[in-house]
Amino acid sequence: MIRMEIALFLVLAFVAYFYFSSEKKHTLLHQTFSVLLVTVMINMVFDAITVYTVNQLDTVPKLLNDIVHRFFLGSLVLVVYLFYQYIAVLVEEETGKPRYLDLAAKFFLIIAEVGNFTLPIVYTVTPDGNYSDGPYVMICYGAVIFYLLLCAGLLIANWTGIENKKKSAIGAALLIEFSVCALQAMNHAWLISGMGLTLMTLAFYLTLENPDILRAELYEQKMSMLYLKSQVNPHFLYNTLDSIRIQAQLNGDKKVADLLMRLVDFFRLSVKVDCPMVSLDDETELLEAYMELMCYRYPELKCEYDIDPELGMEQVPNFILQPIVENSLLHGLKNKGYKGEVTISAQKTEAGHMEICVKDTGSGFEEGKKALIDDMLLHYDKQAPKLTGNSIGVLNVQKRIKLMCGREYGLWYSENEDGGVTAHILLPMGEK
Amino acid sequence: MKKLRVLLVDDEIMIREGFKRLFDWEAHDCEVVGEAADGMEALTKIDDLQPDIAIMDINIPIMNGLKVIELARIKHPDMAFVIVSGYDDFAYCRKALQLKITDYLLKPVNYEEFGNCIDNLKIAMFQQQAVQDVEQQEERPIHGIIRYLQEHLAEEISLSILEEEFHLSAQYISQLFKNEIGVNFLSYLTNIRMEKAKKLLLSTSLSIAEVSEQSGYGDYRVFTKIFKKAEGITPSQYRRDFLEDTLL
Repeated sequence: MIRMEIALFLVLAFVAYFYFSSEKKHTLLHQTFSVLLVTVMINMVFDAITVYTVNQLDTVPKLLNDIVHRFFLGSLVLVVYLFYQYIAVLVEEETGKPRYLDLAAKFFLIIAEVGNFTLPIVYTVTPDGNYSDGPYVMICYGAVIFYLLLCAGLLIANWTGIENKKKSAIGAALLIEFSVCALQAMNHAWLISGMGLTLMTLAFYLTLENPDILRAELYEQKMSMLYLKSQVNPHFLYNTLDSIRIQAQLNGDKKVADLLMRLVDFFRLSVKVDCPMVSLDDETELLEAYMELMCYRYPELKCEYDIDPELGMEQVPNFILQPIVENSLLHGLKNKGYKGEVTISAQKTEAGHMEICVKDTGSGFEEGKKALIDDMLLHYDKQAPKLTGNSIGVLNVQKRIKLMCGREYGLWYSENEDGGVTAHILLPMGEK
Repeated sequence: MKKLRVLLVDDEIMIREGFKRLFDWEAHDCEVVGEAADGMEALTKIDDLQPDIAIMDINIPIMNGLKVIELARIKHPDMAFVIVSGYDDFAYCRKALQLKITDYLLKPVNYEEFGNCIDNLKIAMFQQQAVQDVEQQEERPIHGIIRYLQEHLAEEISLSILEEEFHLSAQYISQLFKNEIGVNFLSYLTNIRMEKAKKLLLSTSLSIAEVSEQSGYGDYRVFTKIFKKAEGITPSQYRRDFLEDTLL
């Protein structure tokens, strides 16, 4: 029989390894499960020891046998208590109702543990194997039944308030434990409590506590925080900036007023994130606002547009030009003290597509840098998620074009004969 | 040309102050006769002051701007309304169009461009008057000039060409526009060219360059720039928005 306990311990250790190594939210529920997992493993150790010692009554001193038995059943009561706690926290999370029976459960735990460590133990010897018996066993089994009934009561009382998946997890776990208890009560020598506890733990691990679910929870939490951050009412921003602008102009500062005006334009256009595709005109307008602000900051920076007006209403992926131009400024023109020109052109190609070019008169690619960029853009789908700084913007543009327009379209770079770099964006035409 | 009387309606004092002090009302033959900070006050002031134009915010306390316009229209059918809003919400624009407002401007308002809006309003009022004048067979020199402009839109037009055509001095013609319509010659010309371009954009499938040509702009880049300044959107956007509107 000891082989089963060893196998179960290994299963639990395996589960514990995955559970503790995965990133998760620090909620009361997960903390309870962590404690539970450790306690079940401790219980399994004592289980294994007692299964051995109880059948060696002649060689093992009674005192030692008593001690390991008391620790075995003591930890078993604690495990079942933790199961109750886990389910109670889960129900509380689901329904929002406080845990009324907490105090009673804790009180009962103390009584059971005191009884377990003080009441006398009797060993019964049978041909099928020996087992411990007597008042100390009674009080422990009483505790187990008490907690299981509490759990079942919680489940039934909140039947409608709990999500189906969680209901079935709790239900399955309780069913297993009840069956194991019944079998154990009928055949005292089977000693299968460890199996029941392990299966119950597994039931929760597989349904509610596995690493995928924990990661999804964590991701959801991060996303909702980002979402909240972006929830600052944009009208508050525009209106406040507009008041400041008017005040500046009333004070006679026309320049500041104009800049604030462009800033408002830029924000207004860039919050149109809810549409994945916008017209080329919208993109150009955003870019104009951005470039006007940049040209103010760097007076020797010039910007030219040559956009075929027939292309104005063509749909393009949202927010693709600004990151490319920003890249040209940061990697090309910055090295020249922002002295130079950016030319943005959009033309129809012979094949009936649209080609947008962003040409700069900057410092051009450093030695070997072009090959790196080419490689990154070619294998855009195999890039490690954590690229640094500005490559993210360019890579993101490439990914979105490929995703929304098709793999035959996209972004690439070429070097100009007279210095600097040109970014080419090929896009489809006539998309609605 | 009598001065136009203007009522400013916005719940933010800074916006009203900006309009009052930063736009050159005098140069546009207008005067601000009153201000209102909420919908009820706006209605009362409209009844009391009988303004020609109300500059209205939509999102104001007690009663929203669109409702104010709807109610004011009953008693004052000829009054002009210019909406100035922070919301470029399509539902608002639609409702505003149904109320036949003069213009829908987005905050932040550029005061130089706001002048175009006033000029357009004056031109519209003048053109309405001109139709009545012609019916009453009251022909004045200005009528001949504007008819000539309408017919020769696509060609090069300047004050010196008009000088030769009508045997009047450029200075006199310029003064005529100012006195009769209340706008300068160039504003008038741009206005009718834009009207023509808008008509072509919506009723034909001519390319932007062709529309530009027929509206009197040789270079479509210049045309696009001027159109955008006047309408707030590019010619192609204008065409698309209208097509979307009719599909809805």
